[in-house]
Amino acid sequence: MKSLFFVIGCVLIAACSGTTETANGSAEKTAAGEEIDGMSIYQLTSSWQTQDGNEMTWKDLEGEVLVAVMIYTSCKAACPRLVADMKNLEEKVGKTPVPVRYILVSIDPETDTPERLKEFAGLNHMDGGQWLFLRSTEDNTREFANVMAVKYARISPLDFSHSNIISVFDRKGAMVHQMEGLAVNNEQTVEAILTASR
Amino acid sequence: MKATILNAMWLAMALSVLYGCRQKSDDGEENISARAVRMKVESQPVKAELTSPPLVPKPVGNRPPQKLIVDMEIIEEEGELADGVRYVFWTFGGTVPGSFIRGRVGDEVEFTLKNHPDNKLPHNIDLHAVTGQGGGAEASFVAPGHQKTFKFKLINPGLFVYHCATAPVGMHIGNGMYGLILVEPAGGLPKVDREYYVMQGDFYTKGKHGEPGLQPFDMQKAYDEHADYVLFNGKVGALTGDNRLTANTGETVRLFVGNGGPNLVSSFHVIGEIFDKVYIEGGSAVNRNVQTTLIPAGGAAIVEFKVEVPSNLILVDHALFRTFNKGALGILEVSGEKNHLVFEGEVLEGIYQPEGATIQSTPVSEAGAEPAKPLTKPEKMQLGQRIYNTACFACHQPNGEGLGEAFPPLAKSDYLNKDAARAINTVLRGLSGEITVNGKKYNSQMPAQVLNDQEVAGVLTFIYNNWGNNGTEVTEEQVRAQRK
Amino acid sequence: MQTPVFIFFSALLLGMTQGTVKNGMSRVEGGRYVPMYGAGKNEMVTVASFEMDRLPVTNADFMAFVKQFPRWKKSAAPRLFADAGYLKNWTEDLSFPPSLSEAPVTNVSWFAAKAYCECQDKRLPTTHEWEFAAMAGYQHRDERRDSLFSARILAAYETPKTYLKPVGQSRPNYWGLYNLNELVWEWTSDFGSVMMSGENRNADARDLFCGAGSLNATDLMNYAAFMRYAFRSSIQARFTINNLGFRCAR
Repeated sequence: MKSLFFVIGCVLIAACSGTTETANGSAEKTAAGEEIDGMSIYQLTSSWQTQDGNEMTWKDLEGEVLVAVMIYTSCKAACPRLVADMKNLEEKVGKTPVPVRYILVSIDPETDTPERLKEFAGLNHMDGGQWLFLRSTEDNTREFANVMAVKYARISPLDFSHSNIISVFDRKGAMVHQMEGLAVNNEQTVEAILTASR
Repeated sequence: MKATILNAMWLAMALSVLYGCRQKSDDGEENISARAVRMKVESQPVKAELTSPPLVPKPVGNRPPQKLIVDMEIIEEEGELADGVRYVFWTFGGTVPGSFIRGRVGDEVEFTLKNHPDNKLPHNIDLHAVTGQGGGAEASFVAPGHQKTFKFKLINPGLFVYHCATAPVGMHIGNGMYGLILVEPAGGLPKVDREYYVMQGDFYTKGKHGEPGLQPFDMQKAYDEHADYVLFNGKVGALTGDNRLTANTGETVRLFVGNGGPNLVSSFHVIGEIFDKVYIEGGSAVNRNVQTTLIPAGGAAIVEFKVEVPSNLILVDHALFRTFNKGALGILEVSGEKNHLVFEGEVLEGIYQPEGATIQSTPVSEAGAEPAKPLTKPEKMQLGQRIYNTACFACHQPNGEGLGEAFPPLAKSDYLNKDAARAINTVLRGLSGEITVNGKKYNSQMPAQVLNDQEVAGVLTFIYNNWGNNGTEVTEEQVRAQRK
Repeated sequence: MQTPVFIFFSALLLGMTQGTVKNGMSRVEGGRYVPMYGAGKNEMVTVASFEMDRLPVTNADFMAFVKQFPRWKKSAAPRLFADAGYLKNWTEDLSFPPSLSEAPVTNVSWFAAKAYCECQDKRLPTTHEWEFAAMAGYQHRDERRDSLFSARILAAYETPKTYLKPVGQSRPNYWGLYNLNELVWEWTSDFGSVMMSGENRNADARDLFCGAGSLNATDLMNYAAFMRYAFRSSIQARFTINNLGFRCAR
């Protein structure tokens, strides 16, 4: 009996795949009626909490260009520089025809509560509407990191080591560019964001 | 070299402009690499010619710097370490050593490393010719069934080793993941008549040297640096018999010699030749008139010599147990007219024996005395052939023809056919002093062979029943009798 | 008939006689151990008791899953979740060469493996769990110091084309688990916690290359573990590889 329940659960809830179940591969449509690209992160059904305590999914950001990085707020070394890199990008890109959202995803959801994320945003003068701070479950975080090809590991109760990668997603949620490393030349990344947000 | 050093080089170059020729002799090299960094390349990319050992791609000559596309595939595959001895090699381009890469200073290389889908492991490449993080190791780290492309500029001339640098790195190298990349200076190396690619490596197998069948890598032996095989170009016999290198008298030969290691340093020597030139450690300094040149693990050297007289030159690691017992031996056959001014034919080319001229005192009692059932003659022949091809053929040659002035023939040998007991004794105890074989005098030394009775009987039966010899079948009893 | 239902029932019915039965799961008693990487130098890691599939998931098993969840068909899986090599040894969406039926399924991405396990009410094992289970030899929970144990694993890693062989043909380990080191590499839930150098200026370099590969390792003689961790650090979640399969845990 129990096993039967699981099988039904798989079909109905669709949670077992961590992604949406679509029948026989028929493509999903966006609100605008466009087909979702096979590479779109809108296919991730995970739910995320913002610095304001709101719940959201990636699909809620449809139509925006996304610039995403993974950090944790108690990080002392690389993250401040990643944050600076994000701010540099935001400054250089400036105003665009299509809105650009700058997203900082926590790899330490346990510590990084919405309150803490909000405080971190304030301290770093990232309170504008273009800044989004997110956390989810550890499972969802690992899944998102895997989509971005970010590797991370907890190395002590308060510290993580992690890849320093900033990713750019276009209006359909497909990754179009990655910038790897700290304080590297960001011209190509700026160009990629500008192209995507035209 | 890190970026800071590069900056320092720019500075040095600026200074040299100010001070003119005063610094020329000291920092000439820095100038070359600093200039190389600024060199413009031809816009049209060119696919690099890659060659399997012992061949090398054609020289760069006078061509300008260009964009060089290098495509290299990593293949893990079973091959032969020696006749009947199988081993799973990990290779760059399907050979050990890997494909030879040739470019010039100023070339911009676009390097694609492909990891074959059937491979089990991730790999990468660290090219010692590359200035940058890990020599490309990090940029090229690639999972099976995937490929990575990275770019670099060749700024220092020389002969460089490349190798896999994935953990556990010693094992990746120990399984054959190394090769050479040559960066020629502007205008190219001086023209020569023949060029060959030779690379030494040490191997560690579960079974002892010569034990047939598929041999797994032996981690403990590698750790202890106790090699079972020390080889040129990845196989016993890769450069002998039909695979020998060739040249004609009067030609100048250039050998690009590398050492992959992982553990052993090579005392590279060519018996019967003197290196006219050695580009020490593969760099720009040239030494002349050299007998033996040291090639460190992860290093290389370019040696050049003019071959004056017809003979078989023997490539060895002059740590000679590696040559006698572990496979480090190659032949360069020189054909042409004799030149009596250079070589009269009466001076003997000997093999250096660290113990001196006396016969080594290997115990004569039978090693591994397990009673075995007597073999049939065909079984003996088979066993004998295997032993011959590991223990004897390097000196006495594949068809018993002997080699040069040092190693007498076994084919149609009057000395051999006259006395089987003496032959058994020679195998068991070795032989030194002058002997006459087929009318020719030999005065060299043969080491005692550590073989059991069955193996001695086998190898002698094999020899007696080949190459026009008298067909004697040697029995284990006869061998036992001679041990007493 | 090899559906998840079948697997579940066989686990229920036969699960008691661990070691003699190949299907189903084995319980691995928790404990503390020092992993090769992923903890501080010589730092103990605690692994809670868990259950693990005795066998790697086979092509036949995976076929049953795909029939039920067509999203994971060869032709349907989104590229975000599996690269172009997904199930490339299958001839069509629902067929593969018969000889592969009992061979471990390979060319499956991390996302696909995760989905499979979750649909059996299971999950992928963590790297610590996997390593903990795999350090057991035939007799003991931890035989990493036994040179024969290591030599056996190294020899298996060097053998080509083992992904074509059927599962469950060799001796199970102490926990009753088969083929952990013999046929294919296996996905772990947090394979992405194995770091390469240069991506991290925060802590000590976790560099798997060259000499630096030894810097953060706890046991320099454990070549088999080096190879597994190097493999994990070389892959991404979308990758599909001939020699990479998985099994589930609970």
